[in-house]
Amino acid sequence: MTISIEIKDLSKKYKLYQSRSERFKDLVLPKSYGKDFWALRHVDFRANKGDVIGFIGINGSGKSTLSNIIAGIVPESSGSIYINGQASLIAVSSGLKGDLTGRENIELKCLMLGFSMKEIKEMQQWIIEFAELEDFIDQPVKSYSSGMKSRLGFAISVTIDPDILIIDEALSVGDKAFAEKSIEKMKEFKAQGKTMIFVSHSINQIKNFCNKVLWLEFGQVKKYGNVDDIIPEYENFIKEYKKMTKKQKSVYKRKVIENQTVRGNK
Amino acid sequence: MKATIKVLKEQFKYFYLVRRLSVYELRSKNNDNYLGMAWEIINPVFQISIYWFVFGYGIRQREDIPLTENLSVPFIYWMIIGMIVWLFFYQSIIQGSKSIYTRIKMLAKMNFPMSIIPNYVVLSRYFVFLGMFVILILVMNMSGYYVNIYYLQFPYYLLALFVFTFSLAFVMSTLSTIIRDIQMFLQSILRMGLYISPILWNVDTIANETISLVMKLNPLYYLIEGFRFSFFGIGWHIFNDPIYTVYFWSITIILFTFGSVLHLKFRRHFIDFV
Repeated sequence: MTISIEIKDLSKKYKLYQSRSERFKDLVLPKSYGKDFWALRHVDFRANKGDVIGFIGINGSGKSTLSNIIAGIVPESSGSIYINGQASLIAVSSGLKGDLTGRENIELKCLMLGFSMKEIKEMQQWIIEFAELEDFIDQPVKSYSSGMKSRLGFAISVTIDPDILIIDEALSVGDKAFAEKSIEKMKEFKAQGKTMIFVSHSINQIKNFCNKVLWLEFGQVKKYGNVDDIIPEYENFIKEYKKMTKKQKSVYKRKVIENQTVRGNK
Repeated sequence: MKATIKVLKEQFKYFYLVRRLSVYELRSKNNDNYLGMAWEIINPVFQISIYWFVFGYGIRQREDIPLTENLSVPFIYWMIIGMIVWLFFYQSIIQGSKSIYTRIKMLAKMNFPMSIIPNYVVLSRYFVFLGMFVILILVMNMSGYYVNIYYLQFPYYLLALFVFTFSLAFVMSTLSTIIRDIQMFLQSILRMGLYISPILWNVDTIANETISLVMKLNPLYYLIEGFRFSFFGIGWHIFNDPIYTVYFWSITIILFTFGSVLHLKFRRHFIDFV
């Protein structure tokens, strides 16, 4: 078993400021101002090559932050992260330029990812077919519907053939036919033994597709293990959470925030 | 020093990408207009005509500018050279300083270093400048200022202009990502810059020597004078005043080094500032 992702004691801190002057003082003066918000705290986990991992947890539990860190978009505050290969994040309409046409966007994005013009010419046809854009491919992207955008984003991301694929709610947009097509593609990747991360609220999708689950709560790992062990527990939790009254929910949320916020010291 | 070399290497290694990206940059700005990229030329032509009308013709008629003992040139030709350089400089600095924080979300995870972002933004302006420059050569020759031996200086000044502008834009791109106010500050300073640079009026007319010297500390003055020397066939500006040349390059190197150190120090955390 080769290790694909290894994360040790990873934390991510954001700063919350009460005012602009606080933000400025924090930047210039050696003393620390503002509150620390820990979006992730002491996260440890390891994925082997070929694992398909679902990230679950309620809103604000740190799923997106973690997937952004794995994709290399956001730097970690402390801890270490090891990635074997190239990771690519697919988010809804990630990095498309509205003023350019779909075709230009394909060229632009692939260029930035380090492909040559010749390779891009070859990939282009496939991308356009997969995204089902037809005549729209020569229209500016800002005129696209959100489904079209995510289809194009998805098609580009899967063509570049990364070693690790991170899918952040990308499949929740687009119609059923396209969702199925994407799932097919994902299954193909799965068969090829690629490592994948799924960030999703849809328990069904996770059940169908993933073999492992990472459950985040308050920016910490609550459970990590096989789908069959954790999903029932999570379903129970969600049921409980839904049953809570508004007041209980807000108490719970406040607890979360207090848990993650600390008066800063540099 | 290490930082400078690292950033320089990145610029050369990704030069192909820089070139392609700068074309897309221009294209995405002008895709909506019927006239498309023609606006990149139409716009400055309008602007120059307005300045010419106000300062050179109707409202405040200017006298010919005396350049040497037996050469005076009409204000319009003298001004137009400075103006074209200025328009490139102004837009490059403004857009270059915004370049990183407006694109970071899209570009954070790509296979190239972020130091090339200001470069391709400046380069896209430079293409426009080169277009204007060719037009300028035509205009000059049609007006009786013909091609001369001093045109050989052009490659040097064209390069120097790009290097200097990029260095300054590079510094500003980092600074305004960290402190957004820099952007506002730049806009107001640069608006003033047009009037304190030797574009609309001749520095040599200032009687006070200290003020005239301070004016010449502006590196743009060095560049604009260089272009004027060549167009009007006055002489070899590079050797005319070697200390001035050394001064110009020192400023440029200091800016570039400062920019590199600053950029490398913060680039990993740019996204946290957005």
